[in-house]
Amino acid sequence: MEFFIQVLVATVGMGTPLLFATLGGVISERAGVINLGMEGLMLVGALVAFVVMLNTDSYIYAVIAATIVSGIVSMLHGFVSLMLRANQIASGLALTFFGTGLSGLFGDKLTGETVEPLSRIPIPVLNSIPVVGPMLFNQDILVYFSYLCVILTWFLLFKTRLGLNIRSMGEAPEVCDSLGLSVIGYRFFAVVGGGMLIGIGGAYFPLALTPYWVDGITAGRGWIAVALVIFAFWHPVKALGGAYLFGIALAMELRLQILGLDISPYFLKMLPYLLTILVLTLITIRYKKLGVKVMPAALGEVFFRGEKN
Amino acid sequence: MHFYLEKRLNTSTWGRIAVLTASIILVLFISLFFFLAAGIEPFPAYKIIGEEVFLTTYGWQDLLVKMTPLMLTGLAVALAAQMRLWNIGAEGQFHMGTFALTWFALEFDGRLPGVILIALMLLMAMIGGGLWGSIPGYLKAKFGVNDIITSLLLNYVAVAWLDHLLFGDWRDPNTNNFPITKEFSVAAQLPTFGNTPVHAGIILAFVFVLIIAWILWKTRLGFQIRLTGENPDAARYSGVNIRMVTILVFAASGAIAGIAGFSEVTGIHYRLQQNISIGYGYTGIIVAWLARNHPLGIILSAFFMSIVFVSAEVLQIEYGLPISMVYLYQGIILFTVLGSEIFTEYRLRISRSLVRTGTGNQNI
Repeated sequence: MEFFIQVLVATVGMGTPLLFATLGGVISERAGVINLGMEGLMLVGALVAFVVMLNTDSYIYAVIAATIVSGIVSMLHGFVSLMLRANQIASGLALTFFGTGLSGLFGDKLTGETVEPLSRIPIPVLNSIPVVGPMLFNQDILVYFSYLCVILTWFLLFKTRLGLNIRSMGEAPEVCDSLGLSVIGYRFFAVVGGGMLIGIGGAYFPLALTPYWVDGITAGRGWIAVALVIFAFWHPVKALGGAYLFGIALAMELRLQILGLDISPYFLKMLPYLLTILVLTLITIRYKKLGVKVMPAALGEVFFRGEKN
Repeated sequence: MHFYLEKRLNTSTWGRIAVLTASIILVLFISLFFFLAAGIEPFPAYKIIGEEVFLTTYGWQDLLVKMTPLMLTGLAVALAAQMRLWNIGAEGQFHMGTFALTWFALEFDGRLPGVILIALMLLMAMIGGGLWGSIPGYLKAKFGVNDIITSLLLNYVAVAWLDHLLFGDWRDPNTNNFPITKEFSVAAQLPTFGNTPVHAGIILAFVFVLIIAWILWKTRLGFQIRLTGENPDAARYSGVNIRMVTILVFAASGAIAGIAGFSEVTGIHYRLQQNISIGYGYTGIIVAWLARNHPLGIILSAFFMSIVFVSAEVLQIEYGLPISMVYLYQGIILFTVLGSEIFTEYRLRISRSLVRTGTGNQNI
C-alpha cells in the first residue's frame, strides 16, 4: 500500500510537465497548427527557468521568465508557418532543433549546478482523503497551477467566444476568413499561448523533478506530449487523464529502480516510449472503429486565402 | 490597392539558388548574435572557422568524413519523403544498424575471411536498420498510426538498447569500464584513402545515392513511390498497393540509415561506442529538406551540412562550445530556408480592385 501511494504521488509529479505541454498542444492544434517543436520549447522553458532560478532564487520569476521566453520562441514557429506559410511539420521540427541547440549551448556551463526543488504544500482537509489526498492535494504549487490550467483551457476553448473562434480556425479557416476573422491572427495567438504552457511544462523539470542541470533534461517528453494530444482527443480534460497515465509509467520506472528489481534500467527507460507507441496504435485503431472525425479538420493545412474559391 | 499572395505554378532554379544564398547570409548574420551571447567575438570566430574548414587539408578531409553519414541519412529521409512519409527515426535506425553489425562482428570476427566478413556486416547493418524502420512503416500501413511520432520515439528505444549492451555484456573489460566494445580486427575495417581519415564509406554513399535515384526514376516501383507521394488517390486507382509500398519504403529508408551506421563504425571508430552518432540521423531531415528530397541534390546539401558540423567542431576546439550547438544552427538554417520559401513558392500581386484576376490562385 505504501509503495502504491508512493507511485501515485510520483505519478502526478511525472505527469505534470506532460500535462502542461499537452494542454499547450491542444490549444495550438485546435486552431489548426501542429506543433512538433514541443520538445524544443520544453527544453527552452527548462533552461530559462533554471538560469533565472539560479540567479534570483525566485520560483515565480523562473516560471514567468520561462513562460515569456517560450512564448517568444514559439513565435518563430508561428511566424514561419503562418505568416510565411511554410510547412508546419518542418517548421515544428526546426523549432525542436533550435530549442535543443539553445539549451545545449547555454546549458553547457550549468551542468552540475543545483537549485532547491519546489516544496510540497498540503491542502488542508482535502489532503487527508485516503489515496487521493496525498496523490492530488499534497503537491507543489505548480501542480495546483496545472489543475487550474486544465479548467481554464477547457473554459477558454469551449465556453468563450475566443475559444469558439480558435476552434473554428482548426475546422474551417476559409469560413472564418470570409466572416472577416483573421485566421493568421487567431492561429498565431494559439501557437504562442500554447507555446507558453509548453514552456511551463519544461520549467517543471529543473524546478521540481530534477533540480540540477543535465543536457537534454526533458528526455523526449515533448514527443510523448505530441502523442498525448492525439490520445486526449484534443480535449483539455482528457489530457489530464492521458498525462497521468504516462505519469504512472514514468513513476514505475523510478520506483522499480529503487526497489532494486533485476531488470536492466535501460529497459525501464524504454518503457514510456514503447507505451506511447502502443497507446497511439490502439487509439488510432479506435478512431477508425468509431468513424467520427475528432481531429480538427484543417489541422496542418497552410491557410492560403482564395485557394478554395 | 490590394495586396495578396499568389501561388507560383513553377519556380525557377535560379530563384531557389538566390533565396538559398540569401538565407545562408541570414544564418551567418543571426549567428552573430549567438556568438555575442556566448561571449565570443564574432568576426575573429568567422575567420578562424573559414580558415580551419576551408584552408587546411584536415578541414577538407573532415568535410568528406562528416559528409558520408549525412548523405546516407539524408537519402534515407528523402526516400521516405518522396512518398510523403516522414521518417524522422533515421537516428534510431542508424543505431540499430550498428547494433546488428557489431553483434555479427563480435561473433564472427576472425572466423570469416575479410571480404565476406565486412560484406556480411554491411548486410547486417541494412537488416538491423531496415527492420527497425519497418516498424513505423508497418504501423502506418496497417493501422494508419502517425509515422512521425512512432519513428521518432523509436530513436529513444534504440539508444537505450545500445546503452544496455554497452554498459553490460558488450563492454570491453580491458578499457577501464568505458562503454565501448573491443576493437574489430583489420578485416572488419573499411580501407581509407591513403593516410587520410577519408574512408571507403563515401564511395558507398555515392553508390547508394545513384541506386536510389535509379530506382526512383527508372523503375516501376520508383514510379509508384513518386505517384503515391504526388497523389495517393491516383496511385490507389492505378493499382498501387500503397500499404506494401509504405512498408517497403520505410524498411529501405531504415536500411540506408543503417548503412550510415555501418560506415561510421567500420570506417572511423572500428568498434561500437556511446554517442556513435552525433545527431546524423536528425540532420538527415534537414539534408533531405534542403535537397527537396532529390537524391542528387543530397550530395550538395550533405556537403553543406557537413560544413556546419566541421565548423561546430572548430568552435568546440577553439572556444570550448558544446557540439550540441550544431542543433541550434540546424534550427536556424531550417527556419530561414522554410521562411524564404515564400519567395520561391508565392508571388506578391497587387491589384487595384478587390476582385482578384490572377489565374494562379484559383483551383490549385
